Amino acid sequence: MARITIDDVTKRFGDDGDAVVAVDDVSLDIKDGEFIVFVGPSGSGKSTLMRIVAGLETQSEGDIHIGDTIVNQLGPRARDIAMVFQNYALYPNMTVEENMSFGLKMSTDMSDEEIEETVTSSAEMMDIGELLDNKPGELSGGQQQRVALGRAIVRDPNVFLMDEPLSNLDAKLRAGMRTEINRLQNDLDVTTLYVTHDQTEAMTMGDRLVVLNYGELHQIGTPLECFYRPANRFVAGFLGSPSMNFFEGRLEGGTLRADGFDYDLTEEMQMAAGSRNELALGVRPEDMAIHDRANAGHEFEAVVDVVEPMGSISYVYLRAQGQEAEGTFIVETDGQRPITEGEHVYVEIPDQDVHLFDIGSGETIHQRNLDREAEVALEEGVQAADRVE
Amino acid sequence: MATTDGDSATASQRLDKDTRETLVTVLRHTVLLTWSFIVLFPLYWLASMSLKPPGTANSLPPDWIFLPTLYNYIQLIQDSGFVAAFANSLLMVSASVVLVLLIGVPAAYVLSRYDIPMERDVLVWILSSRMLPPIAVVLPFFIIFQEFNLFDTRIGMVLMYVSINLSLVVWVMKAFFDGIPETLEEAARVDGATQFQGFMKVVLPAAKPGIFSVAIISFIFAWIELLFGLVLTSFEAVPVSLFVYSFIGSRSIEWGMLAAASTAMIIPVVIFLIAVNKYLAAGLSFGVVIKE
Repeated sequence: MARITIDDVTKRFGDDGDAVVAVDDVSLDIKDGEFIVFVGPSGSGKSTLMRIVAGLETQSEGDIHIGDTIVNQLGPRARDIAMVFQNYALYPNMTVEENMSFGLKMSTDMSDEEIEETVTSSAEMMDIGELLDNKPGELSGGQQQRVALGRAIVRDPNVFLMDEPLSNLDAKLRAGMRTEINRLQNDLDVTTLYVTHDQTEAMTMGDRLVVLNYGELHQIGTPLECFYRPANRFVAGFLGSPSMNFFEGRLEGGTLRADGFDYDLTEEMQMAAGSRNELALGVRPEDMAIHDRANAGHEFEAVVDVVEPMGSISYVYLRAQGQEAEGTFIVETDGQRPITEGEHVYVEIPDQDVHLFDIGSGETIHQRNLDREAEVALEEGVQAADRVE
Repeated sequence: MATTDGDSATASQRLDKDTRETLVTVLRHTVLLTWSFIVLFPLYWLASMSLKPPGTANSLPPDWIFLPTLYNYIQLIQDSGFVAAFANSLLMVSASVVLVLLIGVPAAYVLSRYDIPMERDVLVWILSSRMLPPIAVVLPFFIIFQEFNLFDTRIGMVLMYVSINLSLVVWVMKAFFDGIPETLEEAARVDGATQFQGFMKVVLPAAKPGIFSVAIISFIFAWIELLFGLVLTSFEAVPVSLFVYSFIGSRSIEWGMLAAASTAMIIPVVIFLIAVNKYLAAGLSFGVVIKE
């Protein structure tokens, strides 16, 4: 068990002249037993950051602490970590049992009997007891995944590192393994770093998310905190599926003049906007509503471009009437609502669900409102995550 | 009516299809049999020639039916020169295969895994050692061997065989190592192995099929080498290929002995092949590691 501190870590690849900054001055405190998910699009530096913690890459600047030790100079073998790789990296020439015992043989002085006992019990735990004599090549993808996890668990390490471990599984298996990893992490209570580009995994798995893009740290927080209180436009757009809709526009006397429609800011929003004369408004597809007729005057007219029926819900791609630019925004509607392409509808953006972002920095200047209960639950979640120790 | 017509139509089509399949099968087997005959007949010719009594080996028309005799083989075994050359070759060629693997495999690994300055050029340079026809380099070899007292020595021959096979080993093994994901070594390092242990315990075993493939090819290339043996040896380090060649005299060719010696030469290669066959066949499909 160990806490991990990442202290002003920067990683540059390549020569000084045309170096690529993969991780840009990231600082992070990971508590003992915490499940942390590094999430971001490809090229965000999330894998590099994990590999730095593993000791497979050396940072250009900054320190990594595991427990009370600064591990900058230590190789992976001295860090007492176990890692699950995206491609599993099972040793092809060894049986499952040999795969699982390899780490114990290399890093401990356990006797052969002890090793066998440990391997067997971990294999039982992962439900791969019958596969111990098989070679990895004889296993299905799902079984290989379990072996890879088993190989990590058997080590009983200070830290688990998981680099997109589920991305090679089909959708159904992935959902099952997601739950299983969650359960394992709860049971074992080992500090876990988990890298993924999949925002569903990020939302459902971690105690806290670390959202990265282009090597920069954008937000650290509980999944719900990042979802409902995004620090900036990138986080708001990255979490949630489909993504948040953004409307940029000029601010004229308390009205946002967006492409194709006007939106009247509330007083609270106007306060937040301050002296800015440009803004980006963000609102999630599930918070917007479609009406057949204009009701209160808040709505604006739009044309249906494409409808994606998902069953219980439909995603409706719309274009504002009179919109000049290309592109559409998405509104989620009831799957039973009849709606056809080319239809004219009225779209409502509820005031309480609106986020406002600075055009230049992308920083959030106004967060959406939550119900009292949701607000309390969110706060409690944040405090619980802070308490983990 | 229409239905009946339709049925008969499909029936005749099916018949056609069956006939077609039979024809294809017959044709396929004919081609395979012809090819087998082309490949195997010289071997049969060689073996049968080696088993004929002296004087009749070369008779025309050939004696298709004859009483096989081991006379040629007994003569061969009693010929100390042949036995010495055979043992010589076995020793020199085996040693050269071990040495070329010891040099070539680590070199290929380094070329595969590390950023070497001018890596492409290094690789082409290694290959270029095989670009000149052997006859063009045999004289320089001769002079160098004389300078370094390697002429007609087993060590000299081993080094010569290594120089012949090194480029092959490096190129094939580099491609092989390129196909082994680096995450395997990273997993080993995370598991507590040193980089060297990772190479020895994880990468090398995974590369076994490749290693055995280049080993057998190197063995064959060295085993059948004739030109360098002819120029670089005189008495001590004569390889078996050269000895077999000596049955072709200026006035007559000892066909029986030549055939027996040639057949004997095939045996070590076949034994080697059978011994490593399992790795050659089992290997090349990895299936374990999904490529990113």
